[in-house]
Amino acid sequence: MSYPITGVGAVASIGNTPDEIFTGLCAGRSGLGPLRGFDREKFTAQQLFEIDDRAGTGDEPGRATRFLIEAVRQAAEDAGLPEDLSGVPVLIGTGLRELRSLELWWRDGIPFDASELDFGPALRRRFGAVDTHTFANACSASLYALALGWDLLEQGDADTVIVAGCDTVTESMFGQADRVQPPPPEVRPFDRGRQGTILGEGAAAVVLRRDADPGRPVRGWLRSVAINCDARHPTAPDREGITASVRQAHRIAGADPRDIDLVVLHGTGTPINDLMETEVTASVFAAATPALTGIKSQTGHTSGSAGLMSLLVALSCIGTGRIPPVGGLVDPLPEADGLRLVRDAPLSQPVHLAQVNGFGFGGVNAVAIVAGAA
Amino acid sequence: MNTAITGVSLLLPGLTDPRGLLRPAVTDGEPVDPAALIGKKGLRYKDRATQLGLCMAKAALTDAGLLGPSGITIPGERVGVVVSTNLGNVDTVCRAVETIAKEGTAGLSPMDTPNASSNITASEIAIRFDLRGPNLTVCNGATSGLDAVRWAALTLRSGRADRMLVIGVEPENPMTRALVGGPVVDGGAALVLSRSAEADRCRAVLGPAVRAATLADGAGRLADAVPHAGAWVTDHSDVVPEFAARVDLSGWGECSGALGVMQCAAAVGWADSGRTDPVCALTGGHPGAVASAGLVLRPPGPSS
Repeated sequence: MSYPITGVGAVASIGNTPDEIFTGLCAGRSGLGPLRGFDREKFTAQQLFEIDDRAGTGDEPGRATRFLIEAVRQAAEDAGLPEDLSGVPVLIGTGLRELRSLELWWRDGIPFDASELDFGPALRRRFGAVDTHTFANACSASLYALALGWDLLEQGDADTVIVAGCDTVTESMFGQADRVQPPPPEVRPFDRGRQGTILGEGAAAVVLRRDADPGRPVRGWLRSVAINCDARHPTAPDREGITASVRQAHRIAGADPRDIDLVVLHGTGTPINDLMETEVTASVFAAATPALTGIKSQTGHTSGSAGLMSLLVALSCIGTGRIPPVGGLVDPLPEADGLRLVRDAPLSQPVHLAQVNGFGFGGVNAVAIVAGAA
Repeated sequence: MNTAITGVSLLLPGLTDPRGLLRPAVTDGEPVDPAALIGKKGLRYKDRATQLGLCMAKAALTDAGLLGPSGITIPGERVGVVVSTNLGNVDTVCRAVETIAKEGTAGLSPMDTPNASSNITASEIAIRFDLRGPNLTVCNGATSGLDAVRWAALTLRSGRADRMLVIGVEPENPMTRALVGGPVVDGGAALVLSRSAEADRCRAVLGPAVRAATLADGAGRLADAVPHAGAWVTDHSDVVPEFAARVDLSGWGECSGALGVMQCAAAVGWADSGRTDPVCALTGGHPGAVASAGLVLRPPGPSS
């Protein structure tokens, strides 16, 4: 089974549309900047990949919702859907929901209603959507939501589904990271010198259809989404769980590792994620050499939206035949010997079939396979 | 394909028997003590929602006959978890910003890091019971509990898992109480769902699920699906037909994400009480809500 992706939308620190983001990645642009919403004196780390949209100084509530609305708007428009989405399920994967608004309520007394913790009320107000679902599945949330969107189509429960991911940075999550890891100056996935990840903000959305509309463009085809759980450690990835999710994605897609031209890696830049992901990739692709890339050195780790953001990049690679390099990668970790990590400059290479990895806190793994025009 | 409830657990201050949900809420129950139920080991540094969720998970898996002396008795990769909670890690998040404002990040505890992520309860349950199937955290407002049941049932239909553990849990603490403007249930319920054809200990069968823009539409569609339901489990008395009993769980405090799962537990309590007529559960639909969600639950027939 294979479902057409008929619309895409995204915002991130390096661009306000999927095309801008992809162009920025290929041009080596980075969204890393000094803290905009937090009190700099309270943190050792001083940088994040924030979207520069705040009206004044200090922080304001409702930004995750704002990013989500914009990504969904773009995707619906791209797919030629009406402004009224009352008949369309909208599934949102997020790591941190509107917890930033909760923080501002608790600390500063900025009004906040408990019902706005999830994105349903805002989507109802803006698009008339009533079948909305917010899934808080850490850093694989948007690909997890994509798997459920797939199931809705496959089980005949819907003909059209919008799947999105979004996140801002919460002070609690940023603060915990600041407490436990020395702040890395930059994100350098798969480099020997990598020192950890830096959070980012963003939202991404796709429109999935059971059948393509004649006469309308198809942005790509979703071939499978695998989901599972390590059930091992609250924060560290597990080899067995990740391997199982990748193999499951291949099996559902009916794809041999040798068929896959590109893997957009989760690649957070943390020592343990990148080591584990490299080893699993080397093992699963022992008989194949897909191009490997990752986007987090330039977008930051956009948490719940990260998986779908990577998937949109994979679609752009398929569409353009260009693969952006892993930014900041100078000296690959030794376990990547023999792997084809894209470095320094974009690689021109036709891509027909791509794998997208998303792994999250709690060992929640999701892996998607997307293809070009059938 | 039908979905069956094959295990259930209820964990409320002063009540663990689902049949008790058919009676008025216990108002003077002692708070649940997780350490007394599952031992102290592994509970340190876990937030309240996770501690409660671990207790419910153990009881529901045991009730479904899936837990032996050495753990889960079927392959863990075929068992998934769905947790519904809106307020689960609100306490950790609020406490963190308070600490940062006073002391900077040096005042934070590294042990709170996993709790800053809203899927902490679902992942801790997976770890403790080795449940490696799909692991989902639904934070979807008033309808969240029934939505969690819907997604678990979809996951069974699509073949991603053979058993789904569904948990609805909300913790009581100063932050959650302030956020919802009153007492919070400080407990919840858990279900084990299976495909009916594979269910050897069916407690109730899930009927059609509905989702509608308004309460009236949701109620109408439920009534169309089962014109002669014996009971309606809902906070809204005005939608219950005259001939049906109403089960009202609002006396337990703000149930939020736990509500829909507790409603399903109430339906099991209805069946356990010897009733054979179907039950309608209905959540959401209040002014300002996104939608209403409803679910039909049928007691198992005499042959099952």
